[in-house]
Amino acid sequence: MIYQEIKERVDYRIALIVLALLTIGIVSVYSATYDARAAEIFHKQVVWVGLGILALAAVAFVPFRLLQLASYPAYFLSILLLVSVLILGKTVSGSMSWFNLGWIRLQPSEFSKVATVLALATYLARSDVSLRKKRDLAVAAGIVLLPIALIMMQPDTGTAIIFLGMFFPVLFWGGASRFTLVAIVAPVGTAVAALFGTTPFLTAVLVFGVLIYVTKEGRIVAAAVFSLTVLVGVSVQFIYEGLKHYQQKRIATFLDPNADPLGAGYNILQSKVAIGSGGFFGKGFLHGTQTQLNFIPEQWTDFIFCVPGEEFGFLGAATVLLLLMGLLLRGVSIGASVKNRYGGFVAIGLTAIFATHIFLNIGMSIGLLPVIGVPLPFLSYGGSALLSAMTMVGILMNLYANRKEY
Amino acid sequence: MAQQDDIAIYGKRRTMYAVIAMMFLFFFARLFQLQMIYSEEYGRKSEENSIRTIPKEPVRGYIFDRNGTLVVDNRPAFTVTIMPFEFDKRTIDELSRLLSLDPEFIRDRLRKGEAYSRFAPVKIKRDIDFKTLAALEEKRDRLPGVDTQVESKRWYTTRAVASHTLGYTKEISESQMKLQVDEYAPGDVVGSAGLEARYEPSLRGQKGAEFSMVNVRGQVIGRFENGNNDVPAVEGDDLILTMDFGLQAFAESLMTDKRGAFVAIDPTDGGILAMVSKPDYDLSKFSGVTPPDIWRSLNEDEAAPLYNRATLTRYPPGSTFKMLLAIAALESGSVTKSWRVNCGGSFRMGNKVFKDLHVHGSVDLVNAIQKSCNVYFYQCMLKTGLDAWSHYGNEFGFGRLTGIDLYEENPGLLPTTAYMDKRYGKDGWTRGFLPSLGIGQGELGVTPLQMACYAAALATRGEYHQPHVARAIVTKSPRATDSLTFQTRHIDVSASTWDVVREGMRRVVEEPGGTGGMARIRGIVSAGKTGTAQNPHGPDHAWYVGFAPFDSPRIAVAMLLENAGYGGTQAAPLAGLCIERYLKGWVTHHDTPPPRPRPVPFPQALPPLHAGLAR
Repeated sequence: MIYQEIKERVDYRIALIVLALLTIGIVSVYSATYDARAAEIFHKQVVWVGLGILALAAVAFVPFRLLQLASYPAYFLSILLLVSVLILGKTVSGSMSWFNLGWIRLQPSEFSKVATVLALATYLARSDVSLRKKRDLAVAAGIVLLPIALIMMQPDTGTAIIFLGMFFPVLFWGGASRFTLVAIVAPVGTAVAALFGTTPFLTAVLVFGVLIYVTKEGRIVAAAVFSLTVLVGVSVQFIYEGLKHYQQKRIATFLDPNADPLGAGYNILQSKVAIGSGGFFGKGFLHGTQTQLNFIPEQWTDFIFCVPGEEFGFLGAATVLLLLMGLLLRGVSIGASVKNRYGGFVAIGLTAIFATHIFLNIGMSIGLLPVIGVPLPFLSYGGSALLSAMTMVGILMNLYANRKEY
Repeated sequence: MAQQDDIAIYGKRRTMYAVIAMMFLFFFARLFQLQMIYSEEYGRKSEENSIRTIPKEPVRGYIFDRNGTLVVDNRPAFTVTIMPFEFDKRTIDELSRLLSLDPEFIRDRLRKGEAYSRFAPVKIKRDIDFKTLAALEEKRDRLPGVDTQVESKRWYTTRAVASHTLGYTKEISESQMKLQVDEYAPGDVVGSAGLEARYEPSLRGQKGAEFSMVNVRGQVIGRFENGNNDVPAVEGDDLILTMDFGLQAFAESLMTDKRGAFVAIDPTDGGILAMVSKPDYDLSKFSGVTPPDIWRSLNEDEAAPLYNRATLTRYPPGSTFKMLLAIAALESGSVTKSWRVNCGGSFRMGNKVFKDLHVHGSVDLVNAIQKSCNVYFYQCMLKTGLDAWSHYGNEFGFGRLTGIDLYEENPGLLPTTAYMDKRYGKDGWTRGFLPSLGIGQGELGVTPLQMACYAAALATRGEYHQPHVARAIVTKSPRATDSLTFQTRHIDVSASTWDVVREGMRRVVEEPGGTGGMARIRGIVSAGKTGTAQNPHGPDHAWYVGFAPFDSPRIAVAMLLENAGYGGTQAAPLAGLCIERYLKGWVTHHDTPPPRPRPVPFPQALPPLHAGLAR
């Protein structure tokens, strides 16, 4: 009876998934820092996990209405923080994104991710707002673009991409037309493709051209979107070609905050060797040669996935992937089961944030994507990121508990 | 207020599940590929423990002069490196013997390198000779982690030295490292003076990397993935200068064994044609390694050869400053060109006596410039006042940086009312200062570069171009020549004033009785002004500023010889030869040398108002 009650109120599945991921994370950070520096980083991470669990619990049991009421204020606060970090922040590897509070350094952009989802959900949940209306669509885009612009000024491209990755599924969920979705992806996708060269650029133009044609709602608008797509792509290429090499280098650094040209290629190489050499069973805890010999700089942050990959092999890496997949599926499931419109948007937005993090981080670790510095939720070392991830899970659990409320 | 109707929601949920599943399917497939199919290959690679990044140093950009002559070239040099994590510290003694280095030095280098990264090679000796290289290769097996890299060192191709302008590169210091963490590693070479420092971001190029596989003993056994992951180094951009290295070498040869500076400038665009600071030093000593004892001897030399006298030293300008006062006086209406002074060889103001070299009799402005009459300018300064004088001083670029493209520059000192009030208090100074300033003495300091710019502005009737040494940067990929742009401003002075002052300067050189006759060039009309500046460091400094040809000037110069004596006999002839060399390409001997004025020391009757200006 009590068990039933708890099952009704607490999403134990997502809780177990997160606990398992946190455990693997702590073990991995321990292994990655298993030398002179171990104590400091490992202990900090344990403290952060403790704080994260408290944050999760607090958010999970806060009254649901309060959450909704706090959405806009939280958003404005986050914008304020983003502006002030630009003025007062501390530069870490070339990017102004930190507040330094003694031993803790906080990254307002982490908080801003959550706040933006809440604000966007609050707006889209209004009964008079429809994504089929251009004005409403523009407001929704504005809510997302404002923090993106501020974060790009730090510059922190990784986090800015996370926001875009969040926006798209939310639009899809909110019933934006297929044309709207295509129109948003087309210029961005083409611009990115153009940076890789002419063939990818032409391919992108072709693919998006067909998509625009198929989904078109009006000839003039469709033509305008297509022209914009081509124009953006061409100008990206044109501008890039025309730049001097040190300027191109600066853009490369902008796209990849950790970029020194040696570092990026080197890290991916070592990451692939670490994971590949793990084989099926792995080399055993604390026996990964790549990990223990520090072949991958700062492995405990963005390249943490190599540790389970090398020391626990395919078994370990696949377990992590399965857990992460479970997390995302639960997120979508909660989003679909929540009766409240606001709750649905929040669940989908938060899940999309997790998904983008996972996509970029794992894709980079296994050598399928360029180095874009984003942490792997629950596993990477880092206080702000862990706190925000735990808060996000807390919100999801809160939504689950209140899923039957309108 | 349900979210949406159930069918729509389930449809969307299904789509999202499918997208998530596809993403993970992709990941699993890749994981399978890496860990099951290629795991042996990667396992071997990690066993060999073994991929080493070898940074490839870019070739530094070349430097050309205005005629396209290559003046700074590169030559290969071998650098010995050690990889901290492979290096066996027991071999330090053997290594130090082999390279004739202090073992403590190697330990220190190693310690600093390790703090940066255990996996980045640490450079311990640059530019070793082939004998050492051969000995090192022989003992390679016993020295794990020791390796060599090919780097390039600077090579100077012309007879000219131009040490202060070209500047040198040296190994980055710890303080420089702190400023530029991301870009440089310890042991990297960085431009540290002159153009090498100023254009460092362009000249430097971009580092590359080679990924090699090495065995346990540190021997390279092959390229990783056939070098597909290698990043090639990108050669630095070239620099094209405005300098004429023929003139530079000529001017340097004239000034051998002298102390002083010479600056020649193209008045039409502000391009520096030559810049000499003597004594200078041999840049090629800095190209590979710079032994500490060379550094020490250069640093401790009392003649300060490392110091760019052309841009850094403040000298009193002496009589070469009289044109400035003449312009200020005419423009402010304090005097007219026909105003005359009767020069009796000295001027009394209160109980002070200001002296002159000669008794010039009745002189007007043009005569006063031609003959450099001090008495005229003492009185002229009193009529003109400090404010008008310092206004035009500022217009001609004194007391502030010229903005030349070298980091080494001193703004000099141009006193203004505000400056004097601040320094001495509102009532702490009197008009007694003025007469000295009027003849370019007293609390006043200028650099030879500022004087050359001043001569150029007189040559062009007020077009003041920002002086610069580099004209363009040639980028390698894409190959393009980017011209550098510099500022120009116009000094607002009426045409009649220019005429008077320039006529005075012409007579200095071209007419009997002028003080600069020794700067005369056969077949070319030139103009100039001599100066003989008292200073607290010994005999007078000799100055000459001038330009030629008079009607359409193509070169303006400033020559300063420290403690050499009279400007007209010491500086003027050398400056004249330099101008001739540039305009004609050669120099002729004068058939009948102009009458040589007997050098008369400037009277020392009066102590300088304020000592300590030079340097």
